[in-house]
Amino acid sequence: MSNLFDHKGAVGKGYSQPKPLLPAHSISLPENLTRKQAARWPRLSEPEMVRHYTWLSKRNFGIDTGFYPLGSCTMKHNPRINEVIAQLPGIAEIHPHQPEHHIQGLLSIFHEMQEMLEICAGMDQVTLQPVAGAQGEFTAVRCIQEYFKSRGETERTKVLVPDSAHGTNPASAAMAGFEVVEIPSREDGRIDLDAIRAAVDDQTAVMMITNPNTLGLFEPEISQVAEIVHAAGGQMYYDGANFNAILGITSPGLMGFDAVHYNLHKTFSQPHGGGGPGSGPIGVKNHLAEFLPGPIVKKRPIMVGEEAHAIDDLWYGWYQPAKSIGKVQQWHGNAGAVVRSWAFYRRFGNGLRTMSQHAVLNANYLRHAIFREAKKAGVDDMFCDGAPTTVVKHEFTLSLQPAKEKYGISAMDVAKGLLDKGYMAPTVYFPLVVPECMMIEPTETESKEVLDAFAEHFVEVLQVDAETLHAAPVTTPVRRVDEVYAARNLCLRHPYEEE
Amino acid sequence: MTGTRTVRYAPRRGEVIIMVDQLPNLGREQEMLAEMGLSDMDELFSDIPAQIRMQDGLPLRDPQSEEEIIADANRLLGNNVALCDRVSFLGAGLYRNYVPAAVFAMISRGEFLTAYTPYQPEVSQGMLQAMWEFQTLLSELVGLPIANLSLYDGSSASAEALTCSVRVHNRKATQKNVVYVSQLTSPDKISVMQNYCQGGGIEIRMLKHNQDGTIDLESAIEAAGSCGVYVEQPNPIGLLDGGITQLKEIIGKNTALIVGVQPVSLGVVEAPGKYGADMVVGEGQPLGSPITGGGPLYGIFACSQPYLRLMPGRIVGRSIDVDGKVAYCLTLSTREQHIRRHRATSNICTNETLIALMGAMHMALLGPEGLNHLAVRNMTACLLAKQKLSEIQTIAIPHLHSNHFNEFVVELPGKAMDCLAYLDGNGIVGGFNLSAWYPNRTNWLLITVTDQTKAEEIELLAAHLALWSAKAVMA
Repeated sequence: MSNLFDHKGAVGKGYSQPKPLLPAHSISLPENLTRKQAARWPRLSEPEMVRHYTWLSKRNFGIDTGFYPLGSCTMKHNPRINEVIAQLPGIAEIHPHQPEHHIQGLLSIFHEMQEMLEICAGMDQVTLQPVAGAQGEFTAVRCIQEYFKSRGETERTKVLVPDSAHGTNPASAAMAGFEVVEIPSREDGRIDLDAIRAAVDDQTAVMMITNPNTLGLFEPEISQVAEIVHAAGGQMYYDGANFNAILGITSPGLMGFDAVHYNLHKTFSQPHGGGGPGSGPIGVKNHLAEFLPGPIVKKRPIMVGEEAHAIDDLWYGWYQPAKSIGKVQQWHGNAGAVVRSWAFYRRFGNGLRTMSQHAVLNANYLRHAIFREAKKAGVDDMFCDGAPTTVVKHEFTLSLQPAKEKYGISAMDVAKGLLDKGYMAPTVYFPLVVPECMMIEPTETESKEVLDAFAEHFVEVLQVDAETLHAAPVTTPVRRVDEVYAARNLCLRHPYEEE
Repeated sequence: MTGTRTVRYAPRRGEVIIMVDQLPNLGREQEMLAEMGLSDMDELFSDIPAQIRMQDGLPLRDPQSEEEIIADANRLLGNNVALCDRVSFLGAGLYRNYVPAAVFAMISRGEFLTAYTPYQPEVSQGMLQAMWEFQTLLSELVGLPIANLSLYDGSSASAEALTCSVRVHNRKATQKNVVYVSQLTSPDKISVMQNYCQGGGIEIRMLKHNQDGTIDLESAIEAAGSCGVYVEQPNPIGLLDGGITQLKEIIGKNTALIVGVQPVSLGVVEAPGKYGADMVVGEGQPLGSPITGGGPLYGIFACSQPYLRLMPGRIVGRSIDVDGKVAYCLTLSTREQHIRRHRATSNICTNETLIALMGAMHMALLGPEGLNHLAVRNMTACLLAKQKLSEIQTIAIPHLHSNHFNEFVVELPGKAMDCLAYLDGNGIVGGFNLSAWYPNRTNWLLITVTDQTKAEEIELLAAHLALWSAKAVMA
C-alpha cells in the first residue's frame, strides 16, 4: 500500500474519541453554513497509519540517515534532549496570551537567549519574533526603513546585494518595497570595493551581506565596506546564514554591521524538519532598537507580591518598543524552536567558540582530503576551487567546470552519483557566480573518518564514466525525477477516480 | 587597534568532558591540522583581520552536561502554568486540542525530523509524498483545488493571501492596490498584514460589521472592485456568519474572497470553496499541533486555479522518474526566491513542513467521520457553555442566539481584566480579554472551549462567574 488514499477502511475508521458533551443533533446550523460533502479523506486505523508514515520515512534522507554536506544549510546533528525539552508541558501547553506571571520560566529562557545572541553578534537588542531567516531579513530591513522615515530620509529606497547573495536577500528587500541593486563580485569571489563605491549614493538604505560569504570565504575588507556604506548614510545588514563559522572569533558588531538575523535552525540546531520550522531572531544596534517588532523580554528585580512566581528574584516582562514596526508573526515567534536552541546553547555555553572552530576545522579538512584523494587518483584536473583561497571557513565551493568541459560530467551528475554512495548531495549550482558549482558544508558534528570516507567516495564518483553518471542514481527509492514533466503535467493533489 | 590578542585554541578541561558528546573531533585537532600542514587552529582564521577579532572569549556561562540542562529546563519550564494543569477557556486563535500519540511518534523519526527541504527528490520521496498527500487532505478540507505545503502561521498566510490578491487582480481593479479586511480581525494579525502590504503600497481598508457581530453586507459592496477581501469563519468573536456565504456574489469575480478558517470547524461547517472563496488561509495548529507558546505553528494556504502561478510558498507535484515510476518533486519553483530573487512572489524559504506533517498525520487518523465528530465535540461543548452561562442573571451573552463554533463573547458587569484575575486565583484560565483587540469593550470576555473541555469545568466556570459578577454588580 503506497498511497495514503488507497486506505479505504469502513466508515468511522480512525482513532477513538470520547462522546460529545451533548448529542450531535442538538447542533442546528442553517443550510448555507452546513457542510454537505465530507472531505474525501482516507480511513485508516492506527496500525495502518503508523506503517504508512514509517514506510515514507524510510524513503527520506535525514542527518540521522547519513552525512548531509548541504552547503549553506548547516546540517549539524540535532541533540535529542532538545526534543524532550520542547515537549514539556511548560512549553508545549503554553498559550502566548497567558499573563506574565504564568510564564516566568519561559520568559527567562527568552531573555537568556536574547542576551546570548546579543553577545555572540555584538548587537545591543535582539527580538525572537521572526520565525525564519527570510522573515528575519524582512523584519530588519523594515526596521531600517522606519528608522530612515523617522529621520526624514525617505529618499533612501535602494538595497545593495552582492550577486553571490542568498535569494532571500533580494526577495526580502523587494517585499519591503526597496529597489534592489546587485553588486558584482570580483573575479576571486570577494566583494568589489570599487563596485560598492560606485553604487552607493544618498538613496542607499541598506547593504545586505553574509560573511563568510556564500563561497565560504571570509571577506577581509568587510570593515572598509561598512565604512563606505556608513559614509554614504546607509546601514549594514548581516545575513546570519553563515554565522556558524565565527562564534567567539569575530562578530557582525566588530565588522561594523547595524543589524543581523540568526538562523536558530542552522547555528543552534533546531531540526530542519524537512523544510521547517525555523526561527530567525534579529539583533540590532541601539539606534534601531526602538523599531523592533514587539514584544521583547526585559528583566528587573522583583517587587512585593511577585515572589511566588519569580525565578531567582527577577521579573521577566514583555516590553513594547516605542516606534515598533508592529508584528511579523501574530504571537511571540517560534517559542518551541527558541527553547530547543536554548538547550543547545547550554550544551556549549562559552564553548560556542570551540563549536565554530570545529566547523571550520572540518570544512578545511574535508577540502584538503578531497584534493588529496583526487591527486592520488589522478583526477585533480576535473575540478578546482570555486574561488582561489588558502583557507575556507565553515563551507567551501568546488567548480566542476573542467569535468564538464573535458568529460561532459556536470555538478548535478556528481551530486546524483553521491546519492548512490549513500550521501546527501552538496548544494549545487549555488552561488551562481561559480560555474558548475558544488557547495560543501560538513559542520562540526562529523568525525574525521566520515570526512575521509566522503573524500574517497567523492573521488570514486569522479572516476565513473559520464554515461553511467548521467543515469545515476540507481540505488535510491526512485531514479532521476522528471521535473519538467511535473511542471508540464501539474498534478498537485490525488486524482480521485470519480473526477 | 593596539594590544590585539588572537584567540588560541585551548579548551579547558571541563569543556572537553562536556562537549565531547557533540564534537566527534574534539581532541583530534592536532592530527587533522598536521595533515593539512598546519600547527595551530588559529591558522584557519588567518583571513580574519586582527582588528575585528574578538579580544576575549565569549562572556557566557560554562558548558553544561545533558543532565544539568534537563534539570534546569524542568526548573524553569516547570515554573510555568501549563494549560493542562488548569481549567482553561483561553483560545482566541490557538486551540488546545488533543493530538494523538502516533503523531508525535511518527514525526520523531529522524528521517523526517532531520531532513532539509527536499531539493534532491530521489532521496526525499518520503517527505515529498507526505506533503503531496497533505496538499490533497487540505484541498479536500477547504474545497479548493490547490494547497501549498504551509506558510509560517495564520497571520503570514492571510497577509500573503492579500498581496497575492493584488498581484492577480490589480490590473483590472477599479480600486487599485486596495484590499478590505474585516474590522473584527485581531489587531496583531492586522499588524502583520500591514507589514507585508506596505512594501507594495497596498492600502488595507476595514470591512464593517453589524451590531450583532455579523458582516455588514450592505456596506460590503464598497469592496467590489478592490483586489481582495479578508474575513474569518468562524469570525474572531466566534460567530458562524451566514452572511459570509453571500459575500462573493456581492464583491464580484474580480475581487478575491479570502476566508480565514479554524480547520476543525470544517467537519461541520461548509467548506469556503463551496461558497465562492478564492483563497482559504488559517492557523493549521488545531489539527495536529500543540500550542507551544505560539509557535511553531503552520499557516494553511489554499487557492483556486487563477492564483496558482502567483501564489507564495512551496508546492509538490506528482511526476515520474526516468523509468516512468511515480515520483514526487517540488514544482513551480520559478515563483520562488532561490530562482526569481527580487521578482519572487514571496521571500519564504524555510516554512513549517514538519508541523504541516503533524497536521497530515492527524487528518489521516481522523478520517472524514472523525473530523466531523471532533467538530461536533467542540460545538456541543460550546452550546453547553452558552446554556450554563446564560443562566447567570448578572452576565450577558451578546450573541446568545447566533451560531458559534467553539468560542463566544460574555459581557460582564465589570472589567474583564479583573474577572480574569479573580478566576486565575481560583485555578481557572478564564478566557481572553477582548479589550486587547477592541479597546472600548473593557467588559468583554472571549470564552473558548475545545474537545478537551469537560462538563464539570463548564460548571466550575459558571459557578465562579456567578460569584464574581454578583460581587461586581454590588460594587
